[in-house]
Amino acid sequence: MAKIELKGIGHAYTSIDGEPDYALFPMDLTWEDGGTYALLGPSGCGKSTMLNIVSGILTPSQGRILVDGVDVTNLGTTKRNIAQVFQFPVVYPAKTVYENLAFPLRCARMERTKIDKRVNEVAELLNLDEILQSPARRLTPDLKQLISLGRGLVRDDVAVILMDEPLTVIDPQLKFSLRRKLRDISARHGHTLVYVTHDQNEAMTLAEQVVVMGDGRIVQMGTPQELFENPLHEHVGYFIGSPSMNFMDAKVKGGVVFVLDLPVGVLEQARLSDDAQIKVGIRPEFVHIQEDRTEQSFCAQVLDVQDLGNSAIVNVKLSDDINIKLKLRENAPPIGSTCFIGLEPQMVRYYLDGIAVQ
Amino acid sequence: MQGLTRYKLIFLLPGLLILLGIILFPLIFTVRVSFSGWDAIRPGLDWIGGTNYGRLFADGRFWQSLSRLGAIAFTSVVLEYLLGFGLALLVWRQVKFRRITRVLFLIPMMTTPVVMAVIWRTIFHESLGPANDLAGMLGLGTIPWLTHSAWATVVVILVDVWQWTPFMFLLLLAGLLSLPKEPFLAAAIDGAGPIRTFFNVTFPAMAPISVGALIIRLIEASKIMETVYVITSGGPGTSTETSSYYIFIRGLRDFQIGYAAALSVTYLVIMIVLLTIIAKILTKTLVKPGA
Repeated sequence: MAKIELKGIGHAYTSIDGEPDYALFPMDLTWEDGGTYALLGPSGCGKSTMLNIVSGILTPSQGRILVDGVDVTNLGTTKRNIAQVFQFPVVYPAKTVYENLAFPLRCARMERTKIDKRVNEVAELLNLDEILQSPARRLTPDLKQLISLGRGLVRDDVAVILMDEPLTVIDPQLKFSLRRKLRDISARHGHTLVYVTHDQNEAMTLAEQVVVMGDGRIVQMGTPQELFENPLHEHVGYFIGSPSMNFMDAKVKGGVVFVLDLPVGVLEQARLSDDAQIKVGIRPEFVHIQEDRTEQSFCAQVLDVQDLGNSAIVNVKLSDDINIKLKLRENAPPIGSTCFIGLEPQMVRYYLDGIAVQ
Repeated sequence: MQGLTRYKLIFLLPGLLILLGIILFPLIFTVRVSFSGWDAIRPGLDWIGGTNYGRLFADGRFWQSLSRLGAIAFTSVVLEYLLGFGLALLVWRQVKFRRITRVLFLIPMMTTPVVMAVIWRTIFHESLGPANDLAGMLGLGTIPWLTHSAWATVVVILVDVWQWTPFMFLLLLAGLLSLPKEPFLAAAIDGAGPIRTFFNVTFPAMAPISVGALIIRLIEASKIMETVYVITSGGPGTSTETSSYYIFIRGLRDFQIGYAAALSVTYLVIMIVLLTIIAKILTKTLVKPGA
């Protein structure tokens, strides 16, 4: 297990007029020993590029990568002691499960008895011990994916386990159990785990720290709760949470923020000028329907209701320009009706040019 | 619904008729001819029953040519496969010269078999050809390339390999280029060297394409004819005579049309059965089910 540091790592596949066209903008990032991290972002945001740089498949155009303080930027994949699980399960089709798991150790010329011991340990850990002698090619994708993982775990000196959207081809039912198994294993063994995904649920349930990426940059890094409650960037608000955060245009007068002439909060420290183009953001979970009208309630018209069984997503219209969504646990009002809604004051966030204002 | 079936028939009919005319008619006609005594003296479709087939089973020259064909086709196809695969592996990662090598490799395939066979015959000419000059320089003395049965067989195989290795190469290269990257990355991460990677990743992944390429080439090689005709004319004696060449001799030189038709039909049946069995075996051993 190891601590991974990316120092000024950036990569450009091509350059335009001599200027590098970054797929991954230069950045610093540290993954602590034993932590579980998720890289979350839409397709093409640079997360796979970053993973390939760490695993050594790609040499970055700039920057250095340190594993436990040792510079490995120019080392090949084999020498980095990394385990990687790919989007599509990779097994050696001609071999049995046992042979598959033993393969990395055979390559490292380990003794036969030691190999046997390690393989059995890992097989037990992954619950593969009963199918050790069956041919790997006949297995279901989730078992194949476990074998891919097992080939990484079987080497005891693995620095980091990288997973590149490993659950994409797995059935939803199995996805759930496999995800839990991955978390158990990483928790029990204290492996440093980096998990790439575009699925926020996967990222939030697996990782202690989620790195949200967008357009080749790190937008925010934090625990799932931080990302949910305090998005530092509009992008995070959109990308995390389902449905995404509501954003409303607002005006500032003497430090007080108004949406449609109703005060929603105070911004004293920021010292914003009165004509600042500020936006108010609030999660649909923190917008509520009120029984009675108060000074701070909006009058809203219900546009449509999506019933999700245990909750409902209600789309309401506050004015011609502003529609927001509510996530309600209680019964939703009928479509077309008018109701009063209020925002939870401590959950209102403010954004200027897409960046959070404290 | 019935109207629809009729429309379908009307639209399909021209195609079916052409198919019938091109493929089925000659085939059926050949079968019919094989039951006749049609030759230079008595041309015509009389009926002599299975006489031609009876004669054929006793014709040692035919069965010898068939087994010889088997040996030549098998050897040359295996050599072509090994060479083609080797070359494809060499240029696979090489991006720079890929286009030029592809064109270069296409040349042997594009040359007319008769022309290149003439050139090869000249090369292997015992007193005039450069092949013996080379052998002399290497101290091997004069090799009876075309007048010794074993050497003549070697030459026929060599020319076939020269002409058809590029085909294997192109087919296998296309296969290699279509392979997914992940298994190779995984093998690199697992610490596998090039040899391990080849036997555990490349070869299993290439198995379906290999089977296809081998079968196509076997079918093609079993019809080998021009090369033999021009280089050795089946000689010395009958030692390089292949089935199609023997059928050619019987049918077009001796003009025993009926007998040649019987030979052709027998040859066709044997080939279909053999190639089906070979294809099954190859698929079973190389391509594992569910892989």
